[in-house]
Amino acid sequence: MKKNIQIPLGSQHIALVEPVKFRFECENERIKEVSSDVGFVHRGVEQACVSKFKFDAIPYVVARVCGLCAITHSLAYTQTIEEMLEVELNDKIQYLRTLMIELDRIHSHMLCLAHVCENAGFEAMFMDIMAKREPIMTLQELISGNRIQFDYISIGGVNRDITPEIQKRGLEILAALKEEILLYIHEFQNNWSLSLKYKGVGVLTLDEAMSYNAIGPLARASGLATDVRAETSRLPYDKIGYEMVLEHTGDVFARNQVRLKEILNSIAMCENIFEGLPQGEIQQKVKGKPNGESLVRLEAPRGELMYYVKGNAKPMLERVRIKTPTFSCIPAFMEVFKEEVYADAPAILASFDPCLSCTAK
Amino acid sequence: MFSFKWFKKKSPWILHYNAGSCNGCDIEILACLSPKYDLERFGVINCGNPKQADIFLVTGPVTYRSRERLIQLYTQIPEPKVVIAVGSCACTGGIFRSMYNVEDGIDRYIPVDVYTPGCASSPELIMDAVIQAVDIFEHKNQQLQSAKKLYRQPVFEQGRFCVSNVAKSLKDKDE
Ligand code: SF4
Repeated sequence: MKKNIQIPLGSQHIALVEPVKFRFECENERIKEVSSDVGFVHRGVEQACVSKFKFDAIPYVVARVCGLCAITHSLAYTQTIEEMLEVELNDKIQYLRTLMIELDRIHSHMLCLAHVCENAGFEAMFMDIMAKREPIMTLQELISGNRIQFDYISIGGVNRDITPEIQKRGLEILAALKEEILLYIHEFQNNWSLSLKYKGVGVLTLDEAMSYNAIGPLARASGLATDVRAETSRLPYDKIGYEMVLEHTGDVFARNQVRLKEILNSIAMCENIFEGLPQGEIQQKVKGKPNGESLVRLEAPRGELMYYVKGNAKPMLERVRIKTPTFSCIPAFMEVFKEEVYADAPAILASFDPCLSCTAK
Repeated sequence: MFSFKWFKKKSPWILHYNAGSCNGCDIEILACLSPKYDLERFGVINCGNPKQADIFLVTGPVTYRSRERLIQLYTQIPEPKVVIAVGSCACTGGIFRSMYNVEDGIDRYIPVDVYTPGCASSPELIMDAVIQAVDIFEHKNQQLQSAKKLYRQPVFEQGRFCVSNVAKSLKDKDE
């Protein structure tokens, strides 16, 4: 017998700390239709950027759009301003910025993997990954002075230098983490409960990924080769050994694999940066007020982040527009849920690693 | 004998709600539960159901959309309950103070017992806050358990008992 039921998920739910509300239209166990509501955390950051804060304070404001990819937000904004003011930065600053952004990616991906494990009912693995994530937080604290929301990037440079001790400690931490990640890859491929639960669940095919404009790890797990790091050259990714990670099955399992392998790649890049850090100043003089418009794309842990900034030679900007990764991915999310079993919904949701703070701003 | 009092003292459970934060404080709360800090050794467990919760952890400034849920969750938690505001956003609105969709600190809507500063609040601070909250919780619990006096304490007014005033007003009413 067919029976249609509507099941809401959110806005407060154990599987996901973020306030989002989904409404699933289910036929027996299968999800047929999905609608979502993401506006719970809308704070009005864009408006505040053009009416309350001057342009040189905004790096610290836009960092608060999202706690997980704070550094990517402030970096993207800073780059737009630097482009308008025509600042040429030295290698050291660029390398330090890349270092932080990659460390951020590592801890964000690990958090997502931990969530996915928790939603599979594998509590011990959740605890394990969270524990192994802590050294990265410590490293970020050493470099920038805070675990999360490190206001590290300012217009024209970075705010802190790294010492040889930090360099040494960082290399140790990264080497230890690399071992762990290799173990996790093994575990995620062979552990009965993880691979059995996740193979073939929540599939996004390549065609769907293309037509619904998926980005980030979600797209790369379906075999769509899109990554801002490979496309633009504002940061020295070609010099430090960036490689694109692709998987082709498009299910939760593939997304986990993409994340794990990207962590490995990020670790390699961070090690390269630590070993070959150029000499130089960490802060350069910047003069003038931004005039004109500029657009910057960066790869956040969840996909492409786009900043558009328009200024008219006044301390107050005219327009700041933020387009965040999760926002672009929502159509693809909706597609994945259809025809899945309702019981899988939290796990699939966690595997997207959505960031609703970004989306609602 | 089965004693509720004892269990309540030993294991108050936590409910965590994000009222509009940037996720910074939320992942620090998660980090608190992870083995490095391990909040659970104090007997607190992160649960998803307000009816089972005793300590309410709120992060972020209150947005227009989330205030209704905030109050709903607060009212669903049984007495006694303790509210912790985590992060400068939840305390005062933080960097989001007086943005157009934000209602500043959560104490505009619900009474807060412990304020945790910092952006993001570090796990150490959150742990301190929770330990304080456990103390407050015990205190509130004791107050709730003690016998209530139903009569009003006599109040002095201009050196005389107010009671006579009451009597007078009653007499006025009669007339
Ligand atoms: S206090 Fe800071 S880290 Fe915490 S939610 Fe607010 S902006 Fe984010």
